[in-house]
Amino acid sequence: MTTRTYDRYPMAWLLPVLVPVLLFTLYPVAQVLYTSLHQVIVIMPVEPFVGLENYRQVVLSPGFREALVNSVVFALVTAPLTIIIGFGVARLLLMRFFGRGLLRAVVILPWVLPGAISAVVWMWILHPSWGILNLGLYHLGIIDRYIPWLTDPQLARLSVVLAFVWTQFPFASILLMAALGGIDRGLYEAALVDGANAWQRFRFITFPSIKPVVVVLAIYQSLVALTSYDLVYALTAGGPGTATTLLSFQIWKESFSMMNFGTGSAVGFILVILSLAFMAAIIKALPAAIIRSG
Amino acid sequence: MMHNLSRRQLLGATGAAAALGAIPLRAIAQDVANLNFVVWNYSLDTIQDNIRKFEAGHTDVKVTLTDYTWPDYFDTMMLRLRGNTPTHVMYCGEDWLPGWALAGWLVPIEDHYPELTSYKDKIANYAVRDMTYKGKLYGLPYYADLITFQYNRKILDDNKITVPTTWEEVLEASLKLKKTGMEKPFVYEYNQTLPNFYQAFVSQVYGRGGQMFDADLNPLFSDPGSEAFKHLQWLQDAVKKHDIIAFENHESRIIPAMNTGKHAFSVLFNYVLAAMNEKATQPLAGQFSMALMPGKAQACLGFCKFYAMTSQAAEDDKLRDSSWQFIEFMGGGDFQIAKRWAEEKGLGFAQLPLFDDPGVQKAWSSWIDVDTFKKQATLAINGTQTEWLGMWSGFFRPLLAKTMVGEASVAETMDAGAKRWLELRKLVRGN
Repeated sequence: MTTRTYDRYPMAWLLPVLVPVLLFTLYPVAQVLYTSLHQVIVIMPVEPFVGLENYRQVVLSPGFREALVNSVVFALVTAPLTIIIGFGVARLLLMRFFGRGLLRAVVILPWVLPGAISAVVWMWILHPSWGILNLGLYHLGIIDRYIPWLTDPQLARLSVVLAFVWTQFPFASILLMAALGGIDRGLYEAALVDGANAWQRFRFITFPSIKPVVVVLAIYQSLVALTSYDLVYALTAGGPGTATTLLSFQIWKESFSMMNFGTGSAVGFILVILSLAFMAAIIKALPAAIIRSG
Repeated sequence: MMHNLSRRQLLGATGAAAALGAIPLRAIAQDVANLNFVVWNYSLDTIQDNIRKFEAGHTDVKVTLTDYTWPDYFDTMMLRLRGNTPTHVMYCGEDWLPGWALAGWLVPIEDHYPELTSYKDKIANYAVRDMTYKGKLYGLPYYADLITFQYNRKILDDNKITVPTTWEEVLEASLKLKKTGMEKPFVYEYNQTLPNFYQAFVSQVYGRGGQMFDADLNPLFSDPGSEAFKHLQWLQDAVKKHDIIAFENHESRIIPAMNTGKHAFSVLFNYVLAAMNEKATQPLAGQFSMALMPGKAQACLGFCKFYAMTSQAAEDDKLRDSSWQFIEFMGGGDFQIAKRWAEEKGLGFAQLPLFDDPGVQKAWSSWIDVDTFKKQATLAINGTQTEWLGMWSGFFRPLLAKTMVGEASVAETMDAGAKRWLELRKLVRGN
């Protein structure tokens, strides 16, 4: 096939990608926007246009404000933490030691588990009454009473972050392993000859080399954190109270628990805007050269 | 003599045979009503067996069972009904009836089968009220139960504690047990996604003699002098100040938790007591009892889950008739199915003749003091059911949960709840 053929039918070549994107991304987003401008209460027979009323209701509701703050904090904490842990694990798995192959296979396990299953695993670990963490700490004499990991608001937030990062770090490790493996060893040898210490080697060789992957991971992990639903639903159901309610869970609450698809869609559309803002902010924060090289 | 058929002739002959064969099959298919029956997944084996018994007596009806978990049931059914997924008979909660009837998803069965009303005299009043919307009866009971105060009798006896009759006494007893080394004497079903999280709170308020709403559906709970307000404060203090409450997110987890002997009190659906006292599976079986709900009124919440018919079923004569036969088999007739649930699973019932049934009495006496239960049943009060209750409950439950753990004040929660209630009332009723 010649370059000329590509030039002649650009739309035809793009169609296989464009059609699914239009069908499964743009149309649902447009539908969410449309629904968010109407009063869509499932049990009510009419669905009148209400303009921005759903947005007003949502923004003024205490549940939304908390979910918004929780989501932003959750994304800001989990995305960097996932990358840092992923980097450490990637470095570890690149080292030569006995059983490395097996360890590489095991490390990926949390990533392939569905969120709900991961939640069950963490429930067994963190349950305040019979979780193995409390049991272990108690029998080791570290605690004299069980810690309410999932029923104290602050500890529940911490527990959800911990469980979420556990599910996400393998993916970061895999990408970072690939990036680290691609760095020219000669650069490190030259740096050693020049007397560079470990921190300087990381700062001037490793990090610039893996920066494009870090950027991709930062965007991806932020979006995954912002839209995370299953793990939180199964582990804490957004509680105690609203301590771990994220925007994605708030969409479910508005739509299904409160039967109002109008306000649920308004929260959904706000989440779309927030996700785009996160992506734009991360991309804007980077030098143009990195984006081009990425 | 042999004939050689061409490929075309063979295909033609096969097609004709298939078409001829299909005629009687289609004719038979038209005579069989395919009922879609949707339930939450409690004791599916028993449900399947009940269906088999029904089908044995009704060869012209085929029942297909679909189940969802209890936490997923409400929203899944909402989408199912809204999306017109074939559904003919279903379990329905008393708190969902007004909304779903308003949406036109359920039909008043008595409009089609007036004989349904003859059951009114045989069913407890609170259950009849729970199945009634705008004066019309929408079903027959699957089970009717109470949300009761349950305790470990042995723990109380061993510590010379009398059964609490007020919430102050519950606190006093809990603090006494705490001094003996029991970390959290009260275990609470704490899950804001469950409708019964709100209902359990209401049951406790009824025990105190309080109400959530007045006769004109104005909220009473935001008044700091109301029993609801006081009780939420009691719960918050019990969690934050006295640290006597452990949380579990489902009744199925409370059963083993109570059977560890680490907790003495709980407030649950009454049938859970049967599971707690089941000798085959529970180590402390036999130690658990129910008492009248603490508080000066000692009332509690009574409710009825029932078999309802959808408007999809009502649109077709055959499906409507079959649905009614099925509902009557499961919830009416000589009440054999309700009796089975009561005897085998300890499910409560609203069918009055079963209260005097020797089989039920014998089965129940192995896990509950039947006289205390009867007394509690006579004191039971319905929940306030409105079209917007489901929407409001979805809003209010997270606030309740948040307040219990001290992340919001009682006043904030009650004010926000009252404001939302009035907004929704105006939205649905216009005033």
